[in-house]
Amino acid sequence: MKRVKQQDVFAERPPVKAAPDAKQLRKMAGDWLKQRRADAEMSQADLAARLGLKYYTFISQVENGFSRVPIEIMGAWASELGLEQAAFARHLLMYYEPELHRLLFGAESK
Amino acid sequence: MSVVAFERKHDSGEWSDKELSALVAAFGAALAPGTGREWETGMTERGDAQFYLLSPLPDQACELCVSRIGGRYILEDGLGRLLFEHRNLELVGLHAKAAIPSTSWLMVRAITLWCAIRNTMHERFEPLLVEGEELFVQFVPQLAAFA
Repeated sequence: MKRVKQQDVFAERPPVKAAPDAKQLRKMAGDWLKQRRADAEMSQADLAARLGLKYYTFISQVENGFSRVPIEIMGAWASELGLEQAAFARHLLMYYEPELHRLLFGAESK
Repeated sequence: MSVVAFERKHDSGEWSDKELSALVAAFGAALAPGTGREWETGMTERGDAQFYLLSPLPDQACELCVSRIGGRYILEDGLGRLLFEHRNLELVGLHAKAAIPSTSWLMVRAITLWCAIRNTMHERFEPLLVEGEELFVQFVPQLAAFA
């Protein structure tokens, strides 16, 4: 599995000016997750197998922006992608709960 | 010589019209006007078709997902829990129908409204009831003495 530079992968942020809706934000999170998986040189099936999922359909569900990464497997998802768990969760919170992210970390935090 | 045309079973690629009709029919009640639910389709990276039942606005998150992998239909919820799998789409549709979250958006609104009314009633009438109870407690010994 390929390790990636932590600072670069968490630099991506949703646009601040236009407030995207929950669906758009989940789609952006999905695109980011897809890119991170590609960086780790894994297929959806590889990731699903490592997360103990029978099928890779849920990985697709999340990456297509229709579902969130469940909290119970967020840490394992991060580890399998070679990313630091806290930074991974914090980055996803920016898409899944933008207001909570702003309250916790401020608008300008990275 | 007559040739019987067998329908080709889709193992990969997009949903056929027949499959899509079966899925929309299975989710008919969930997709009824007023529920606010919608559906969308997508694909896995291997080109397997997926059907998503989406919750009402503002979230529009996946509540149930049916995927076709190698001619097998997989039913999952929005958290990735495997609910059912079979080669027969009608059977999967039946399980999907049973798995649809039953609380409609309208129901949630009605419950919220009922709770608000109940809370208001409670706040307004409780002091009166407490006052009445205090009076009752004061007068009961006197009434008992007269009896």
